[in-house]
Amino acid sequence: MALKSQVVLKDILKTYFGSLKAPIAWCTSVGPAEILRALGFEVYFPENHGALLGASRLAGKYIPKAHQAGFSGEICSYLTADIGAWIAGETPLTALYGLKSIPHPDLIVFNTNQCREVDEWFSYFGREFDCPVVGVYPPRYLEEIGQHDIDNVVVQFQKVIAVGEKVIGKKLDYERLKEVLRLSRDGSRLWKKVLDTAQKKPSPLTFFDGVILMAPIVILRGTQTCIDFYEEALEELTALVDQKFGAVPDEQVRIYWEGMPIWGRLRSMSELFINNQATIVASTYCNSWIFDDFDPEQPLASMARAYTQIFINRGEETKLAMMRQMLDEFNIDGVIFHDCKTCFNNTNSRFGLPKRIREEVGVDTLSIDGDLNDLRFFSDGQSRTRLETFIEQLKAKKQDAGRKSNV
Amino acid sequence: MSETDKKIADCYLGIDLGSSYTKFVVVGNDGTILFKEVIATLSRKRDQFEKNMDEIARRFDIQKTCSTGYGRDSYSGDMQKTELICASAGVSAIVDCHKSVIDIGGEDIKIIESDPNGSVVQFYMNDKCSAGTGAFITEIAEKAELEIGEMDEFARRSNSERMINSFCTVFAKTEILGWKFKGVPIEDIARGIYLSIVDRIAKMPIPGGLDIYLCGGVIRFHPYLRDLLAEKIAEKITIVPDPQFIVALGAAELSRKSNSH
Repeated sequence: MALKSQVVLKDILKTYFGSLKAPIAWCTSVGPAEILRALGFEVYFPENHGALLGASRLAGKYIPKAHQAGFSGEICSYLTADIGAWIAGETPLTALYGLKSIPHPDLIVFNTNQCREVDEWFSYFGREFDCPVVGVYPPRYLEEIGQHDIDNVVVQFQKVIAVGEKVIGKKLDYERLKEVLRLSRDGSRLWKKVLDTAQKKPSPLTFFDGVILMAPIVILRGTQTCIDFYEEALEELTALVDQKFGAVPDEQVRIYWEGMPIWGRLRSMSELFINNQATIVASTYCNSWIFDDFDPEQPLASMARAYTQIFINRGEETKLAMMRQMLDEFNIDGVIFHDCKTCFNNTNSRFGLPKRIREEVGVDTLSIDGDLNDLRFFSDGQSRTRLETFIEQLKAKKQDAGRKSNV
Repeated sequence: MSETDKKIADCYLGIDLGSSYTKFVVVGNDGTILFKEVIATLSRKRDQFEKNMDEIARRFDIQKTCSTGYGRDSYSGDMQKTELICASAGVSAIVDCHKSVIDIGGEDIKIIESDPNGSVVQFYMNDKCSAGTGAFITEIAEKAELEIGEMDEFARRSNSERMINSFCTVFAKTEILGWKFKGVPIEDIARGIYLSIVDRIAKMPIPGGLDIYLCGGVIRFHPYLRDLLAEKIAEKITIVPDPQFIVALGAAELSRKSNSH
């Protein structure tokens, strides 16, 4: 069943893309978009465009064009798809929203809290558009986050502000920044509540709903539109919980998805899980846009903390602790790690985490090979065999545990 | 006496539609194997499958059918299970202990920790690359001008430790070409191919302390792999009887057990 919120979302996205008029700033999806909004920029997110190219299965057409331009096939396929589409002079935004091209930037800002590829990606476009590019380079892979780490990022945010003020020709209104940050915080809290409805059994939503519903918290964070959307979505999902509606009929096992979505296979993967009575109820990915620490009274410091302490930017011990909590809260039977060929940073199966989850948390794990956008790295048959076996393995263990508890 | 009366009653069919071969196993209501047959999966003689099914239908009163293997969805039986689930069930029909199963198939290698009841405890498969599988051996042997049927015998005569380094099947063929230019004996080439496969398997996470049972089509034709694996892994390793039919047997067993629930 399609959620009503997903229908509403189509109009919201149409309005958003229609509103992207100069001055426009580009920003990474977990970057300081609040600063740019408070300065008066419309904000556009190339990663969202990358995901759109993947979900529309156009990435395969454009990635080779980026290879021809010198970008390796083993680096971020958001980057290669996006740059390839630019070289081709095409975008799915034309067919979807009537845009002639991707919005041209007046300022480009990125944060390497997720990966270094964004530096190369956004800098390429800085050269293409002859436009200022400001990078924020926070300390990476932290276990603890100290005051010096926060101070480091705050100084870099101040540079973003200085360049932004120069481009837009006015000073940042800090009261406006506080207001934008409040809107961001409230939107983020509502997004968390939306995701937390999946803690119920059966879950009213799956990961495959989540990756659609998350659009406003990425591209409209810091706006009232974002808040209004999640209030409605939460109301709808709460009603579904009350009706004991399960997004997957006869939900038998509950799964956590670690890593990037496989954008070009959302539908077939969703059907596979439905057919096997398994629900992906939680994910690192969707939860990456929950920013509990936004504090309008300390806008820069709290943003520095929130954007630096995201899962992907943490050390292995902290990642394990964060996952342990999620697995417990969502009553998870098994974890699927997506070993994403071109996204090293959003792949967490390569340093022994699956084994530690199995042995230290007692939850079964599976790793599957794939990619966020480049489907040459994904095998439908191989993945299906792994996934169906894993789900069957989880079901058998639950049945066995049920039998033992009845003795 | 009618045709129906001649049939053996209460039987269960497992069909393993593998990447290279399709295997059929029929078991009786006590699990005894009553029939087994293998045909090429993509034979030009497409009616082979139907002929087998006709023969099975003529001789056995099939209560339930389970299909498995990569082509499991192409046959609409009563149930479909992955080949890992069926390999675990098939080996467990022969040995009812906690064990590891290594299934070397046409396009992949599967390592399965299997409990005494045949349930999968955990499993691991090679990544997308088919190096070390049946398809790999076929390709490399062709380049080495080795008949598949004589590889095992040649390899047993060699003590060479030379092995293929490349993961890529195409590049591995280039390595073989280099060996031939250098005049490497055919015995060493045969052993080298096996060593590279064993090296690949030995690097996979095989559960420690469990007896290992080998199954799949590859081990049927290349039993020397067992000896090399035993050297490398140093666990007790046994080739199950009729290793090529184990997955189909597991499918038949699962359909038999599902009927008794």
